[in-house]
Amino acid sequence: MKIAKFIPWIAGGLALAFASAALLPPAKVRGFDLDGFAGLPVLEGGRSKPLDSLARNALLVIRSQQSFQFQGRSLGADEWLLDLLFRPEVSDTQAAFVINDPDVLGLLGLKQSSDRYFAFKTLEPSLAELERQATAAQAVEAQARTRFERAIVNLFERLVLFRKTAETKADGATIDQWTRLGRAWAAQDAVIFNSVVGELQTQAKAARPELVQKAERELLFNRAQPFYAGMIIYVLALLALFASWLGKPAWLALAQRTALGLLCAGALVHTAGLTARIVLQGRPPVTNLYSSAIFIGWAAVLIGILLERIYRRGFGTAVAASSGFASLIIAHHLASDGDTMEMMRAVLDSNFWLATHVVTVTIGYSGAFLAGALGLAYAAWRHLAPRPDPATGKTLASMAYGVICFALFFSFVGTVLGGIWADQSWGRFWGWDPKENGALLIVLWNATILHARWGGFVRVKGLMAMAIFGNVITSLSWFGVNMLGVGLHSYGFMDSAFFALSVFIGSQLLALVLCLAPRRFERRVKLPRPAAPAAELPQPAAAV
Amino acid sequence: MPRIKPSTGPWARGWTRCLDAVASLKLTIACLVCLMVLVVACTLAQVRMGTFGAVNAYIRSALVWWQVPGLGFQLPVFPGGLTVGAVLLANLVVAQGRRLEASWRKSGLWLVHAGLILLFVGEFVSGARQVEMQLAVEEGQTVAFLESPRDLELAVTDVTDPARDEVHGIPESLLAHEKMIAVPGTPLSLRVERYFQNAELSPRPGLEQGSLATAGAGTSLVARALPPVSRDDERDLRAVYVEPIAAGKSYGTWLVSNALAAPQTFTHEGRSYTLSLRQRREYLPYSLTLKKFSHDLYPGTDIPKNFSSLVHLSNPAHGEERDVLISMNQPLRYAGKAFYQASFGKNDTLSILQVVENPGWLLPYISCVLVAAGLVLHFALSLGRSLRRRQAPLFAAEA
Repeated sequence: MKIAKFIPWIAGGLALAFASAALLPPAKVRGFDLDGFAGLPVLEGGRSKPLDSLARNALLVIRSQQSFQFQGRSLGADEWLLDLLFRPEVSDTQAAFVINDPDVLGLLGLKQSSDRYFAFKTLEPSLAELERQATAAQAVEAQARTRFERAIVNLFERLVLFRKTAETKADGATIDQWTRLGRAWAAQDAVIFNSVVGELQTQAKAARPELVQKAERELLFNRAQPFYAGMIIYVLALLALFASWLGKPAWLALAQRTALGLLCAGALVHTAGLTARIVLQGRPPVTNLYSSAIFIGWAAVLIGILLERIYRRGFGTAVAASSGFASLIIAHHLASDGDTMEMMRAVLDSNFWLATHVVTVTIGYSGAFLAGALGLAYAAWRHLAPRPDPATGKTLASMAYGVICFALFFSFVGTVLGGIWADQSWGRFWGWDPKENGALLIVLWNATILHARWGGFVRVKGLMAMAIFGNVITSLSWFGVNMLGVGLHSYGFMDSAFFALSVFIGSQLLALVLCLAPRRFERRVKLPRPAAPAAELPQPAAAV
Repeated sequence: MPRIKPSTGPWARGWTRCLDAVASLKLTIACLVCLMVLVVACTLAQVRMGTFGAVNAYIRSALVWWQVPGLGFQLPVFPGGLTVGAVLLANLVVAQGRRLEASWRKSGLWLVHAGLILLFVGEFVSGARQVEMQLAVEEGQTVAFLESPRDLELAVTDVTDPARDEVHGIPESLLAHEKMIAVPGTPLSLRVERYFQNAELSPRPGLEQGSLATAGAGTSLVARALPPVSRDDERDLRAVYVEPIAAGKSYGTWLVSNALAAPQTFTHEGRSYTLSLRQRREYLPYSLTLKKFSHDLYPGTDIPKNFSSLVHLSNPAHGEERDVLISMNQPLRYAGKAFYQASFGKNDTLSILQVVENPGWLLPYISCVLVAAGLVLHFALSLGRSLRRRQAPLFAAEA
């Protein structure tokens, strides 16, 4: 039994080892020093970055993936960039474009099939028609465009990016060096290629050592993909936890501790990724929608771990691991817009306010979502638990109560700080901008929950149902207002997420109904009830 | 729950019951939910009506009106932001006095509620007293007046002296009454024949078509009333028909509009006056000169990195002559007004500053500190109590 004591530590350690394995320098691909090439700095989008970031972001926008299968092997973003630069005849046959819209496919004379990826060569004959359609669609105001118009503009912009990326040249490289590098790649001559890459690296280091260092750090970050590793570790933690609930009681404690060990490892990886972004960007953690997702998950995981330390029932781990996983998945999907470390527009360019207002408000979102996750856990537990167990219900409710207090504090302070920022930068404390209104809604809803609880209008079940509804409000405030496309904060306009948001809200409303519905087994199975199930008592009238 | 005094008599009991109702938590919750509904409605309506219109319809109104489709009247369907805010404020104040005992346990809530009251008061003060103006200045130009972005005025300018204009501004609110207005400091009176909040000016199709104007550019134009615009990116075109009268003599009826750029002039007893409808102006006892406007981009992109205006501030009354750099997030606060970098134009040679005067601007800052401190105190006290309760059985078992 002695070894059992260390299993949680071993599991956590293994998870960390798995995550850091990606930090090791990669082997040369077919003898080519791709890593050396990928780390060369280039100025794009207003900042200096490694060629690797440029390649990954471009491929992510064009194909929604960072690598793909070509001629039976996996082609990374760097190789794709090299082909695009120096072997256009090969690159044109690689299926780099994803096209989902049936009308656009129809325009191109392509059939809708399971393969949604197309090569430039396939699109080439229709370029003139595409440009004509896109120009017509671009004349329409972005919000008034039809689905077809949006899709055609999107495809056209990706074609422009494809062309623009093909013009890339590493900073400081002379035309002669770049031509030699190109000839070597076209001839697939690894020896010359590597020598030119070495030459370019030495030259860049001599000219701008700090840029090379920064580019190499970012390359390491790109390769490590800490958020992807974190996502996997969170899933493992969840699996361990489910195992604990299914297995024998003897296993329960061990599996629960293992889950917590894995969760902590995931949190460490998540923290490392977040810190790396802060260092690379030289900015506070939240600068755009993508980073807000990363940060919301991170804060929720930390609060979840704290809850687990206080209550030790596995629920803290469950909600933390699922919130962490969910937020990283969302971030993953938000990343397809391109560079996630883009430069800040002038109006947002203030590290002080980004660090105070944005971070505080985002922690408020985390709290609201975590309380909602506890509500969901309660709803599921109520219907799945073999017998009514008011004590557990009460525990969950007191966890949720604490988290809501936390959320109210941060969302209120964050919202008012936002007002103060607005007052500082354009002289209006409150302008009823949609994003401000969204934050205000979260504050109002959390205050409503707490007042309802203090007045005794809701007990366990009602509190949990209100917490679930908090998920709806928080998601609307986080994403929904960006879809309106009005106001100063509509920096992340996107309509593809509209469907996902609707599904999420629908699911939350369903969970809300489930939470309030009578227990499934209540009538069918007559179990000896424990005395005074306070949690399930009908609500007493207001006692004010 | 402490009661102030056992009440006697039906009136006193009724009063107590009334106060209890105003102080009740149920009312708090009802107000919070109503406010949420209003905020959601206001946010959604912004797509259709623009921010200004939506806020006026839902937040800065006592009642929310609904236009009955197909019929020409409106019905109040929901309490507006002003009503809900006022009720919530009353609820907060009365609850503070009646429900919340003055004890250390509740000290956090006292702070929170005091902060909230201050925040509400601050919003009312801002709503009533905040004045937003604009200052547009081109490079090299010196400007000593502010312009209102929304309100207009009818300017009657005595241009007889080429070195000095004498301006008499008549605010729009007076024009809207369509009455006789005496222009102070001049022998003139203006008879306002028609006032259009939003109008369309079109060439007069023929002489048989009547126009109210008998003099000036208006004789060849007709003004037609349009419904006022509500979107933030659109502006009303105002128009007004006025008849200047001096010493019993009429100088004809003139059409004046902010759509007509050139001022229209008439002469009375050797003095020339021009009529123009322009943005309402406020003259400053000091002046600003734009020395340089900068619009920086991130290298290789068109993402704006910074906007800034280097201005020279000159206040002869105080002997002040100095340069100020106004940039995003760094306004100039001077003489009760704050100047913010708001916009730009004319190929980066024109800078537009937003100028705000708000006597209540400090209140939200104090309120934020109070509420944050109160929440921390309250939650810390509750957490302490809850932890003690959780540990109590443990200690009992150990003992």
